[in-house]
Amino acid sequence: MTAVISTKGVCRYFGDDDDTLVKAVDNVSIEIERGEFTALVGPSGSGKTTLLHLLGGLDNPTAGSVELSGTNIAEMSGAALSDFRRDHIGFIFQSYNLIPVFSAEENIEYIMLLQGVEAAQRKRRVAEMLEQVGLKGLEDRRPNKLSGGQQQRVAIARAMVSHPEIILADEPTANLDSKTGIALLDLMKELNEKHNMTFVFSTHDEKIMARASRLIHMQDGLIEFDERK
Amino acid sequence: MDTVKLAFRNLFRNTRRTVLTVMLIGFSLTALILTDGVMRGMLTLMVENVTGTFTGEAQIHLPGYRENLDVDLTMDNSDEIERQLQQNSSLKSYAPRVVSGAMVSSSYNVSAGALYGIDAQREQTVSRVRQAVSRGDYLSGEGTELLIGHSMAELLEVDLGDRIVLTLSEANGGELAQALFRISGILDFGMRELDENFIFVNIDAARNVLGLTPQQTHEFVLSFVDPLDAEDPDNALFQKLNGEGLEALGWLDLNKEISLIIELTGYTSLIIGGILFLLASLGVINSMFMSIYERIYEFGVIKAIGTRPSAIANLILCEAMLIALLSCAMGIFLGFAIGMWTSTNGIAIGEMEFSGIAFSNNILSEFHISQFTQFPIYVVLLTILAAIYPARFAAKIVPSEALQRSL
Repeated sequence: MTAVISTKGVCRYFGDDDDTLVKAVDNVSIEIERGEFTALVGPSGSGKTTLLHLLGGLDNPTAGSVELSGTNIAEMSGAALSDFRRDHIGFIFQSYNLIPVFSAEENIEYIMLLQGVEAAQRKRRVAEMLEQVGLKGLEDRRPNKLSGGQQQRVAIARAMVSHPEIILADEPTANLDSKTGIALLDLMKELNEKHNMTFVFSTHDEKIMARASRLIHMQDGLIEFDERK
Repeated sequence: MDTVKLAFRNLFRNTRRTVLTVMLIGFSLTALILTDGVMRGMLTLMVENVTGTFTGEAQIHLPGYRENLDVDLTMDNSDEIERQLQQNSSLKSYAPRVVSGAMVSSSYNVSAGALYGIDAQREQTVSRVRQAVSRGDYLSGEGTELLIGHSMAELLEVDLGDRIVLTLSEANGGELAQALFRISGILDFGMRELDENFIFVNIDAARNVLGLTPQQTHEFVLSFVDPLDAEDPDNALFQKLNGEGLEALGWLDLNKEISLIIELTGYTSLIIGGILFLLASLGVINSMFMSIYERIYEFGVIKAIGTRPSAIANLILCEAMLIALLSCAMGIFLGFAIGMWTSTNGIAIGEMEFSGIAFSNNILSEFHISQFTQFPIYVVLLTILAAIYPARFAAKIVPSEALQRSL
């Protein structure tokens, strides 16, 4: 198996002096292989979100390296890093974070516009994703006309439409009721198996954890233990 | 979904703020168009008063004459000069004058004045002396008729038909000479200097009193086919006459005060425009920052999913450009509508005298192509310029920080 994500001694500290220093992520080394469905678990403040941000190149590590598909993104910045995220990583956020002035279809299409995918292909792939996430017929609705679960389905479709190697999801079910949350996680699991995409998501929901193939437990910025099912 | 479409939709996420920003910039443009229109109208009125009333668009004298109005400094070859003027196709008309200081006496009072001997027919083509006759008759061209300003007539306590004695120095000898004239018309120019000091007689009579020959003239007043020719100190006629030992000057050189006022008017427009757009720019910066802070989480998201910093900056600049274009549409429409009204009905300023020039008519604002081309371009450029700072701010948003903030 090939490691799609590899961190070596990655640290993210906040604050300048000993009194205010917060070690959000401290000396974390992990390897995540292609197609894994990995959950970062732990209590609030354990460093899950910070680690996800580091894995996605949304934040720069204080020390250590973050390699995605063999590229050390800790050394990248600006447009190159944006392009790398665009082409290799899909993000799903806790609060859905769709662009409110776009319809569901346009939100999904947006990332392909950034990639310069031609119009006909964009339309075809958007239609496929809407079908897969069960939102066919709602493509023209703007986010404020969709339920929380529907918005998160659009966010999943947006993250997956460009076929990235890695999907990073920060507590994707936190704002949903448990039934909808589990349904969405099942959808993510199904897509993970179908497309062999690597999923890394943070959660502290026991029911969600049960569906993960690997659990990385975090506490105070450190990996407490790492278990594969 | 291109940047323009996204920017356009973003503008109407907070319609009230966008409308207020558009109004701020749009009204500034309207104010600038109207200010410029009124300034242009005022200048036109001023120039018309200056050139049309008495000075003419240009004058010819002997060098040095204008400094002290020396009666001896006559152009002694009037026929030759007139021949040149007749042959010049850029001229619409011209008129000769003889000029002298004089003591003006009536039975009741005495006053110093400026005597102008004018060619009754040709003078009508270069000045408004005939139109200024408020009572009595204009000069017929013969005899000892005299036109006098109403203010001087009041001072001398004279009226139509009364006799006036002019005492003056003859040219080339300085002998005192006296002549009796009879008032044929009372003048009202609306300009204090003319109404208090000037008297007009037929040119032959004036030459006779001053001891000048029919070939001798102090001043030629010119009117051009294209009035702009008079504003060009390098025009061919001026060059030719100046090369022949004469002094030919356009009205801008003859009225330095007015030149200065015109120059100052340009600066005034610039300063007013600068202040208006500084305020509007601050409004734009404020509005754009409000908009960015409201969407900071969203910027974090679109940056996270791969939007380049430059694309985010372009989006903000595009939003600013659309605001500017909407503002221009509004500003141009209002500027045109109000400008149409003020160019037809004018702005009443009452009786006003400025630098010796009377303004009694309404100022009619004037349209100029630059008001609807240059000014809107400035608005767009300045608005985009004002948006650069917010755009840079948005482009530099760190996704991980933005995703932890919301408003």
